[in-house]
Amino acid sequence: MQKEVVILGVGMTKFGRLTGRTLAHMAREAGLMALKDAGVNYGDIQVGFCSHCLQPLGTGMECFAQLGMTGIPVTNVEVACASHTRAVILAAEMIAAGAYDMALVIGVEKMPRGGIPWGDRSDMPYEYLTGILPMPGVYAIQAVEHMHKYGTKPEYFAKAAEKAHRNGSLNPNATYRDVYTLEEIMNSRMICQPLTMLMCSANADGASATVICSKKRARRYTNKPMRLVGWAGGNPMYVKGKPNNPLPEAPNEYLAKKVYEMSGIEPNDVKILQLHDAFSAAEVFLLEELGFCLHGEGGLFVWEGKTEINGKVPTNTDGGLISCGHPIGATGGRMIAELCWQLRGAAGKRQVPGNPDVAMLHNQGLGGGNVMMFTI
Amino acid sequence: MPNGEMKKRIPIKNILFKLTGDGYDGYLIGSRCKACGEIFFPKRFVCANCFSEEIEEVPLDKMGKILSYTIAQTGFPGASVTPPFITGIVELPNKLQILTLITGYDFDKVKIGSEVNLYFWKAGEDDEGRELMAYAFRPTQK
Repeated sequence: MQKEVVILGVGMTKFGRLTGRTLAHMAREAGLMALKDAGVNYGDIQVGFCSHCLQPLGTGMECFAQLGMTGIPVTNVEVACASHTRAVILAAEMIAAGAYDMALVIGVEKMPRGGIPWGDRSDMPYEYLTGILPMPGVYAIQAVEHMHKYGTKPEYFAKAAEKAHRNGSLNPNATYRDVYTLEEIMNSRMICQPLTMLMCSANADGASATVICSKKRARRYTNKPMRLVGWAGGNPMYVKGKPNNPLPEAPNEYLAKKVYEMSGIEPNDVKILQLHDAFSAAEVFLLEELGFCLHGEGGLFVWEGKTEINGKVPTNTDGGLISCGHPIGATGGRMIAELCWQLRGAAGKRQVPGNPDVAMLHNQGLGGGNVMMFTI
Repeated sequence: MPNGEMKKRIPIKNILFKLTGDGYDGYLIGSRCKACGEIFFPKRFVCANCFSEEIEEVPLDKMGKILSYTIAQTGFPGASVTPPFITGIVELPNKLQILTLITGYDFDKVKIGSEVNLYFWKAGEDDEGRELMAYAFRPTQK
């Protein structure tokens, strides 16, 4: 019998261009916030994971040492943009198996301006050596195919961005807090057709932290923790008979199916959703892949306002990657924190009405993906 | 070759394709699993379907159809291609999907389903002055 797992505490720094702030400083702020939110101190933590992608070796040790030095194992975890949630899954599996009762994940990142460095030239993929696949292109190619197959309009992708910017304007932690009209978004600089600049997320600095705990141990601190009732992490999957996908994509449908099975929850039960909108078109694809509508219907689903804060499936209520910005190792923790605040009814001006009690999360990066289900 | 002067042309990345003739011709290298028959691009050394290591190289078709694309208005500083350019996925007759640069189209004329052919282009030079070749697809010439 697996032990039940809860999220006991969450914390994050404001995301943005945090020039002058060190990794240690950001990790300490987010880490202390999560520990205090949980009502524990660092001495209660039995295992730690530090999620980051572009920071030097020793980052995990350095960041955790800010909070205390208790001899616990701290391990760095990297799955590109899906690093933080994968670290939470590792912690959850350890707790479920009975190895530990309480874990801390800190995600931290200081992002370079512009592109992401790739290491040695001999290991660079062809697309990067030649420059033929800028990151927005990954989503733009899928967007053009979606438009061709289903008649999806660029306006639908813009609508997801318009909502993201509007939600983000209500979030003091977001990097970009300006509100834009659909027209302004459509007319902003073209990046990769049909995606314009205001439909793309941008690099940011920031940290986030998550305290994961067994449900039994959590009773000492709260009688209403956010429960983690389903999770699945995975990387690209080859399926015989299906066309190969030359774009780095997580097996999202497969992961979502596993999470629905594990949690016994169906898409219709989900009251609030966080999904990985590195580019706003992703909201359209992912609503389909996660089972909220049929393939081809994601565009209208967004266009009709069903992902608004007061819609059927409020999605990325904090502004998502588009508005919050993207410190890649910390983004997953930002998603968990938002869902936690929403389920506790503590999300302030962007609170989803009607006391939402079931939340779903999807976080992916360069092929790796994680899906989670939470209840309260 | 004119003037007998021929620069050495090599693939910008090994194992993806073989150059033939003057280096502007060649083919993409697929790999076929001898155990289960699955075909992959880029070449694999362990079959992704049955995990066999018995893999043989097979030349892939030089003709395909545009499955999707985008017009990139942004790129990497210092990269071989400068924006704007068309990049996308070409589907070969055996259903393999190839991520590739697509050229030879006015931006308002490129269409999903169009037939395109493989060709090779110079993407740069290495320190020894060898030309680094890359592949792309362009419209089938009628």
